[in-house]
Amino acid sequence: MAIFNAKDRIIECKLVYYGPGRGGKTTNLEYIFKAFNKNTSAEMVSINTMGDRTLFFDFLPIGLGKIRGCEVKIQLYTVPGQTRYRSTRKMVLKGVDGVVFVADSLEVRRKANMLSLRDLADNLKDEGKSIFQIPLVLQYNKRDLAEQGIPLLPVEIIDLDLNNKLKAPYFSASALKGDGVGATLKHALLVTLRQLQKELQWTR
Amino acid sequence: MSEKESIKTLLKEAEIYRTQGLLADSKAKYVEVLSLIGKNPSFSKNQKLVDGVKSKIRAVDKSLHELKERPDKPELTQDMQSLIKKLFTFSQTKEAAAIEGAVALAKFGQYDKALHEFHLLLEEGILPLVTAKNIVRCYGALKKPEAAAEQFTKWLSRDTFSFDELKQLRSFIIAVLEKEGIEVRLPEVAARPKRAAAAKKGQETFLEISAISIHFQGGPYQSQDLDFEVQFQSANTVTVHVPSSRKEVAEFLAPGTRLDDIQCYSPITVFRSSGTVAGTATIKHGPKQGDFTLDISIDAD
Repeated sequence: MAIFNAKDRIIECKLVYYGPGRGGKTTNLEYIFKAFNKNTSAEMVSINTMGDRTLFFDFLPIGLGKIRGCEVKIQLYTVPGQTRYRSTRKMVLKGVDGVVFVADSLEVRRKANMLSLRDLADNLKDEGKSIFQIPLVLQYNKRDLAEQGIPLLPVEIIDLDLNNKLKAPYFSASALKGDGVGATLKHALLVTLRQLQKELQWTR
Repeated sequence: MSEKESIKTLLKEAEIYRTQGLLADSKAKYVEVLSLIGKNPSFSKNQKLVDGVKSKIRAVDKSLHELKERPDKPELTQDMQSLIKKLFTFSQTKEAAAIEGAVALAKFGQYDKALHEFHLLLEEGILPLVTAKNIVRCYGALKKPEAAAEQFTKWLSRDTFSFDELKQLRSFIIAVLEKEGIEVRLPEVAARPKRAAAAKKGQETFLEISAISIHFQGGPYQSQDLDFEVQFQSANTVTVHVPSSRKEVAEFLAPGTRLDDIQCYSPITVFRSSGTVAGTATIKHGPKQGDFTLDISIDAD
């Protein structure tokens, strides 16, 4: 839940990157950390062991500077994507203000995308939130693999699978190359802060 | 696309999936390649190709096995545990935040650290029933029913909880462990004698007991009296030593066993009492390695 310190005019909010395992959530944060280094107030923390799988979460705090007279600080988190880490995902979602859902464009991951989105909806519901109301942006990642002849789902198909009812904004991306990462984050921040402005009645 | 090109494409796909960490999908593609090879004699005779693909499948299988075998939630460093507490505590009050921090540790699988924190909170008297239930949950998650039972027996012998709270805790422990598929025997919560219920922490002193004699009403020493020297005493709980040669005694006097006839020897008097076995432990190091210690809570007089 966003913290609004009206006296010091500081807003802190939480954005969670969600999605199936190996979809590119951590890669998104790693790119953001490298690209926006001067805006990060601390190091990126990744709790993973045995290679590069996130077991607990990644955490990256970012300062956005002053927006409408308020100092805005964002905490970015990722969740572990594997099915067996459901309880960890629930914990990380506590107090979430906005979500970026990173879908895997590989054809072989079609079902995993849908199951993960369903998991997100269920966990948000347990938090008293609705996937239809929380600020949400979809990212269709790994688009670069088409160049290597790997079967990808067309964007229209992924969008139909995941976004038919949600009608959330979406971006194509290649987190490994950094394509679409910034645009996704920017829009996610926009929709999240817009919502917070309404909820917190934060004005200049 | 020719068969050769199909095999090349599938192999490329399999390798990409492997590097992406999509091991099951990678294996599926390698198996598909093997199946294609098998259908074409000109490929199936190419032993180098067949062996190469089988070797890839073995490598992927090994990675899958390693993934399956690793602990779900490994123990983290102290710094990481502190970060978890900091990031996942939302309560404004100090007490609720303390509990929430310990709960966060447990939810992230840091049970040993969480137990340490919960025990401290219990000693400080912070939301004791909530804290106790979380202690039980940790033991359940660690699949340590004997530790949960031992803990409950300790609570029975102390004044931390009321009769009703103890009954609640007893039902809670059984439910938590049943959920983990574990059956546990717990002592019943007996209504406390008024004198014991009225005793307040720090206000009652207990005679120093140097030795006890237990009259066995069952088990291997039925109708016999066995003497034990007291090694250590804390309030009304005495610790006695049982040599490994009398293992059956330690086994019979399991936590929760009620002892209705105990002769207690103190420097100034001898008196008869009753008590409950609060805990047992095996000595793991030193000259008495393999022997046992028993904690016995003597009923207050």
